[in-house]
Amino acid sequence: MIEDALIALTVVFPPLAGLLCYALTNKTARRLIVALTAVVLIGSSILLYIGGGFVYEPAPIFENVILVLDLALLVYFLYAGLKYKNWLVLGLSVLQLLPLIYFEFGLGGMVVEPMMVVSELSLVMGLIISVVGSLIVVYALSYMDEHEHHLHIEKSKQPRFFFFMLLLLGAMHGLVFSNSLYWVYFFWEVTTLCSYELIRHDGTEIAVKNALTALWMNLLGGVGFIAAIFLGYYFAGTLSIEALLNMGEAPIFLLLFATLAFAAFTKSAQFPFNKWLQGAMVAPTPVSALLHSSTMVNAGVYLILRIAPAFSGTALSFGTALVGAFTFMITAILALNERTSKGILAYSTIGNLGLIILCAGINTPLSYAAALTLLLFHSVSKGLLFLCAGVVENRVNTRLIEDWEGLLAKLPLTTVIMVIAMLSMFLPPFGMLLGKWAAIDAIVSAPTIGKIIMLIFVLIGSAATTVYYSKWLGHMLMLPQSGKGLGNEELPAPYVLSMFTLLSLSVVMGLGVALLINSVVLPAMPVGYISSIGVSVVNVTTGFGSFLTIPYWIGAAVIILVGVFIARSKGGVVKAPYESGENIADNPEAFRTTADTQVPIEVSGMFMENEFSESKVLTYGVIAGALIVFVMFFTVVL
Amino acid sequence: MVDLTNPYTYVPVVLVILAPVIGGLLMGIDRKLTARMQSRMGPPITQPFYDAIKLWGKEPFIASKIQPVLAFGYFGFSLAAFALLAFGQDILLLIFTMAIADLCLIVAAFNSKSTYSNLGARRELLGMMSYEPVLLLAAISISFVTGNFMVGGIFQFETPLLTILPLTFLAMIPVLVIDMKKSPFDVSASSHAHQELVRGIYTEFSGYTLAMVELGHWTRVALLLGFMSLFWAPNLIIGTALAFMLFFIVLVIDNSYPRLDWKTMVKTTWVVGFLLILANIVGLVARLVIFS
Repeated sequence: MIEDALIALTVVFPPLAGLLCYALTNKTARRLIVALTAVVLIGSSILLYIGGGFVYEPAPIFENVILVLDLALLVYFLYAGLKYKNWLVLGLSVLQLLPLIYFEFGLGGMVVEPMMVVSELSLVMGLIISVVGSLIVVYALSYMDEHEHHLHIEKSKQPRFFFFMLLLLGAMHGLVFSNSLYWVYFFWEVTTLCSYELIRHDGTEIAVKNALTALWMNLLGGVGFIAAIFLGYYFAGTLSIEALLNMGEAPIFLLLFATLAFAAFTKSAQFPFNKWLQGAMVAPTPVSALLHSSTMVNAGVYLILRIAPAFSGTALSFGTALVGAFTFMITAILALNERTSKGILAYSTIGNLGLIILCAGINTPLSYAAALTLLLFHSVSKGLLFLCAGVVENRVNTRLIEDWEGLLAKLPLTTVIMVIAMLSMFLPPFGMLLGKWAAIDAIVSAPTIGKIIMLIFVLIGSAATTVYYSKWLGHMLMLPQSGKGLGNEELPAPYVLSMFTLLSLSVVMGLGVALLINSVVLPAMPVGYISSIGVSVVNVTTGFGSFLTIPYWIGAAVIILVGVFIARSKGGVVKAPYESGENIADNPEAFRTTADTQVPIEVSGMFMENEFSESKVLTYGVIAGALIVFVMFFTVVL
Repeated sequence: MVDLTNPYTYVPVVLVILAPVIGGLLMGIDRKLTARMQSRMGPPITQPFYDAIKLWGKEPFIASKIQPVLAFGYFGFSLAAFALLAFGQDILLLIFTMAIADLCLIVAAFNSKSTYSNLGARRELLGMMSYEPVLLLAAISISFVTGNFMVGGIFQFETPLLTILPLTFLAMIPVLVIDMKKSPFDVSASSHAHQELVRGIYTEFSGYTLAMVELGHWTRVALLLGFMSLFWAPNLIIGTALAFMLFFIVLVIDNSYPRLDWKTMVKTTWVVGFLLILANIVGLVARLVIFS
């Protein structure tokens, strides 16, 4: 009984609180409501997690409520398509609306029992959504004030903003707890709605344009869902995901799962559907943080992880893995040329989701465990990175990473947090790298010969990842001699609360990775997935290798401490950089040239426009991605 | 658990302590051999140690407050990577640890607003991007043979790896050339100054920070050659001879080729490296198929 109430709290409470935010335009009231929602969400998801999995049957009335809401939603999309004369949006809405009306009123719909299945996997997802998601919404309280101040907005649009942020959290919970394909579809469409509304929040021309791109790409995924619903109705006689998972590997069921995987690719912005997430960057930063770390894109990954056990070892599994591996490589190469902070983070998100989808597609117990580990650590680290990027952007008023030069002197606190968050994305002993390491072990031990291609994709992607993060780090940590601090860096309470919680989570989870794998990752594995992964105090083993954990942390700490000790004891005078003897005594950041002219030293960023031109790589990437998806469908049908 | 009475227990510890010394001697031998190839006498092979001691005692000038910490990080993490090798740990983890070490050096070079050191740091990043995937793929090809990623696993494998993975061994040559900062791929810096680079990534290091960077470089050379000696494990005497032979080949290459640009470096390393290792793997699979 208590579980039923907790489910209601996670799914229904956030939208209601959002409505309240929308109705009350008062700032204090909004802060209280958001804080309360965060507490409720985090509390109930932890309680749910402790309680473990169960089956839940909501009152039958909800069936009708959802039907009405769903139709209203599609009509709204239809209206959006008409309003902006976007024929793609219009066509794709019609493609969902008409079949849906036929399904409900012509065929009489379908009753699914049970409506909701709360599995260990969905509980883990629930934890990610509640904890990371709530912290981001709390962060947004301060961010949106600064944002509207910067844009000189007279009448605050915040009530609307927080309504959709909270609605998104509720919808995500609904999505991960639902068992009926139809319900999952409904919540899926609600997340589409939220992303559309949040991306166009600022109302600029580019915002509306990108929001419509996001809308049609996500609606395309919705069409995939409709196809899956009809396939399920006609050929399986059920829309229960649990039941569908046990239908066997007949081509028709593989086709059903392929349409779902297709929908997941659109939601997780895998190539060729990467464009919308990149465009979503025009939205205020908390939106990006929320979409990229704990919600929205995770819906796609979740869906693939949920259905993956049904097609282990099939062509579909291979195709899924290939899409993920290709996306991982191509986004890392694209990020080499990206000049804006959020742009790089967006490519990094798409790439890491690709890595998770690759692991899901490899579909062995080890790769599945790697996928879950990556998912957990990615949401925390990426959430934190976006939060820091937002703070920096509001302080230095630029997203160009070249202009972030010397940030360490200007914003020491935020920079240090952001540097740790960056390192946690690609270096040991942090969890993301442990996940990547386990992923490599999993691919190497995969029972397919195609793994060689995937390995090369992963290795090149991984090397490029190191490069794009490192050069960014280089800009931030540059300390020009004249670099003056902005004095004490003061952060408002919501920033401190959200950033420090995520930072400590990322470190604590890294330190306690053994416990995390044992008590969170392994219980969330599907039935029959007995992983060879083993953990002890000193290492994590996969049967192929061993990743030192606690000894590594200690070793790294010792190295840093000894370094600090040497630096302290030897000290030294800070000198101007070498300029071939043409330095100027009172200006360390200029050099002397012909006729004693002073020329300022300028150091730009490294971008490889000629070698990996963004437009070319994007074009080829989208074509290749589309080909892979096409071939995947082709082989499944054959 | 750990048998403290067995003298072999202490071998890895001794190796880790000796790693910088071995590396330093190798650098001395490098200078001697290079001098002979150029018809010079060359300094004594202990010269690198004298240089380092002198550097350590010089008046300290730094480029920024965190530069010395990062300079030590380059040495510290290189040594940690060597420790992973000596204690028979995971090769992938070893390669990632090398990446941390390299990153310390790169960030230290990015740290000051110096054109030369920034240029060097960027090129070092590109060097890393060139050799890291090849090194990882080499490790993967080893794991296909031994069944796991542990250095210890190579020792349990009776047959010398070189006889099974000769092409992987060859693919490691460009990796060594890049990481030892030898011509034709000494794009980020080299032991002597280049006109447009000055000292590249090393430009802003001086005195004790440069000494720590040198120490790091020695450790890295020892690490790379130590890794190569695994190709004739478990007989490490032949393995060491093999590594030394490779070291000599790298020196010959260094003295025979002019420097090439970074694009050629990335292309050559990836194309040659990937193709050689893949050919090796395909050959192994083909042999399995034919003989079974």
